[in-house]
Amino acid sequence: MVDILGIGNSGLIAAKKSLETTGHNITNVNTEGYSRQRVHQTTSNPIGTSGIIQGTGVRVRGVDRTHDPFVEKSLQKAISKESYSQFRHEELSQIENIFNEIDNGGLNNVMNKFYNAFRELSSQPDNETMRSVVRDTAGLVVKDFHRIRDSLDSISRGIDQKIGGEISDINAISKNVTKLNIRIANLEAGGDETGDLRDQRDLAVKELSKSFEVHTYQDNKKNFIISAKGVGTIVAGGQFQELAASGASLTASSSGMDGSVEVFFKERPSHKITPKFKSGRLASLITVRNSDIQQLQDRIDSLAFDFGNSVNAIHSRGFVSRNFPAGPNGEIPTGDRKGPSSGVNFFKVSLGREGASSKLELSDEVKSDISNIVTALSPNSPGDNRISLAISKLQHEKFMAGGTSTLEEEFLKTVGNVGVEVGKAKLDAEQMEGIRVQAETVKERISGVSLDEETANMVRFQHAYDAAAKVMATANEMFQTVLNIKR
Amino acid sequence: MTRVSENSSTHALKYALSKGKEKMENLQLKGSTLKSITRPSDNPISNVEALTLESRIKDNEQYIKNGDYAELHLNSTEQAIEQVVEILNKAKEIAIAQSSDFYDGNIRENVSNEVKQLRNQALSIANKRVGNKYLFGGYKTLTKPFTKDGEFQGDMGKITLEVSKDFFVPINLNGHEVFFTSDDSTDTQPDPFKEVGPKDALPPELREQREQRELEEGNKPSSQSGRDLASVPIDQSEYKSRSNVFSLLDGLTSSLENNDPNFTQSLLEKFDESINRLVTMRTKVGSIMNSVESSKVGNEDAKIDAATRKSALVDADVTELFSDITRQQNILKTTYKSSQGLMNQRLLDFLR
Repeated sequence: MVDILGIGNSGLIAAKKSLETTGHNITNVNTEGYSRQRVHQTTSNPIGTSGIIQGTGVRVRGVDRTHDPFVEKSLQKAISKESYSQFRHEELSQIENIFNEIDNGGLNNVMNKFYNAFRELSSQPDNETMRSVVRDTAGLVVKDFHRIRDSLDSISRGIDQKIGGEISDINAISKNVTKLNIRIANLEAGGDETGDLRDQRDLAVKELSKSFEVHTYQDNKKNFIISAKGVGTIVAGGQFQELAASGASLTASSSGMDGSVEVFFKERPSHKITPKFKSGRLASLITVRNSDIQQLQDRIDSLAFDFGNSVNAIHSRGFVSRNFPAGPNGEIPTGDRKGPSSGVNFFKVSLGREGASSKLELSDEVKSDISNIVTALSPNSPGDNRISLAISKLQHEKFMAGGTSTLEEEFLKTVGNVGVEVGKAKLDAEQMEGIRVQAETVKERISGVSLDEETANMVRFQHAYDAAAKVMATANEMFQTVLNIKR
Repeated sequence: MTRVSENSSTHALKYALSKGKEKMENLQLKGSTLKSITRPSDNPISNVEALTLESRIKDNEQYIKNGDYAELHLNSTEQAIEQVVEILNKAKEIAIAQSSDFYDGNIRENVSNEVKQLRNQALSIANKRVGNKYLFGGYKTLTKPFTKDGEFQGDMGKITLEVSKDFFVPINLNGHEVFFTSDDSTDTQPDPFKEVGPKDALPPELREQREQRELEEGNKPSSQSGRDLASVPIDQSEYKSRSNVFSLLDGLTSSLENNDPNFTQSLLEKFDESINRLVTMRTKVGSIMNSVESSKVGNEDAKIDAATRKSALVDADVTELFSDITRQQNILKTTYKSSQGLMNQRLLDFLR
């Protein structure tokens, strides 16, 4: 009869544990990364008395979290890819804004104005007002080259800062994971439950997945290892490799700009791992900075360089618009106090293509006096418009890309490329978001808490508890009966 | 059986809602700007084409402006030539009247004053200005082209303007060809880039390539010999030095002053030649004006075509857009309705 009490008691304990777990599940329904838990119970070891095998009630074997490591890994991968394409889309959209000319003027617009100003000037080369219009529109072209280059530069610098932030986030999370690793190892050595801690660790790994593609496994010493694909081990059991980021000089930079932030392991500062990250936000930021932006900067520099030089090539052939009395043999003086009579450049162009777009300026001569804008091929000919005609005609001259396209075509090709890239990135981002949501839904279907299910369980376990208590009450009555026999 | 948990259903719901909202936002942006493209990535190809069209429209506007200016210039030139022809006709009439022995010296003396006056008129026409520019000075538009003695101070410059893409017209006649003689072979459409052109901006190796190709195609414009301006062939060597308008009038004056009807008669042929030459020149100016006019019309048409095409590319189709918006609103509403059922039903509600 003591057996009956014991059996009833085991039932009470099991039902209480189940109710506890159900309560835990219900209260954590909205906890991020929480996996529902279940009580594992089996029959207690039966005992044999006088040849009869007899059950001894129920035994709680443990509390498990419902978890599928394969689903978890595919979710991590989806998160990496989503962050990559999402960040790529965000950064490229910023670049796209620089080249968006639909509502307001951009380089194409002012460039067109520039050529047409020269076209108008060739109808009235002796008109002072037209000259200052030419100078103003040329100033707009210069300003727009500066705007494009400066905006590209500042996006690049913005990315530098973001990389720095990423790295310190990664370090903080890595450190957190090592702490969790140690606690989990300790608890498991004592045979305790670690479901909640493992959930927290999974959550941290998913957070890391946003920054780069992770690979996790357990080595033969049961150490939990996190490695970044292409880079190496970041966390191993209770230890982690600290990452660091700092600005590099122009020669060492991978973005083509000085002060670009490069990533390395803190213990090996000379060994740069910037371009090695795969997927995730880091790789996305680095690719946009080192490849997309750098290409655009080069293109714009090239445009500015070729544009300035070709205008100069023609402009310097003619004579400025001032009267130079010819000498006795008909020779023209080489200049007066306002500058030379011929060979004047319109733009100040840098020597090399590097940074040409930010260094493009109007030449000092043109800046100081509008009579230095050349229209005439022959001296002392205020009505001669051959130089201005030739400059306006540069608009249709295929002098870019080895003589196959005009400047406008070359620029529009760039704009088109940006548009296509952003379009692709947007599509990717949408697609990857869909895949991530799907992976998350699959995971939540397996590990997530269903309130309906828990409610049903609650009723079930409560009944079990009631019934187990009834068993004990019955045992109690039986004791009473036995004790009453003596009376 | 697929297990459904609280989070899996909220995830799915959130995703559906954010997708719907995103689409709605996009449509609303289009609705407020009435443009189907608001950024290059919306349609990269249309965007680039729209930008090209925008440039073409602006170019055409400038070509039209240039055309207007060319017309103004050519008109003034035509009028000036007409006036010179009139003067020459008057002088010719005088010469005819005075080439007989009918009048005596005194009368001829008086008539010579009238011819002097005609010469002064011709000189003032030769120094005619449009705005502050002298019409007949060639490139030297700010210096008086003719001195009192009828000496030409200008040059032979031909000012050309682009009145439609790659179509250049001369807008001036220089004083030499009008008042002296046209001894240069004048192109009706001169190549403005004979001496300097956009080609000069090309790197040397590219320029060589280009020239080689043009040579092979045989369309190098500068190598073309110009068409003669006059339809009537004139033997220029014969009257080259003497068809000068001013010296012609001077000759008439002196022949009248000297009472020399024979010489007066000998001048008649020269007058006819000069008048013929000028009339031909006027016809030429007229034909240039016609081509300017027709290219202006062409530019206007091209401008409208380009604007229409651009609108088709960039502007939103309003009816389609608003029916899209309505449809999207309905989709969103349905999503809200269906989520109401999902979110508010619990087993707990029934266990009391």
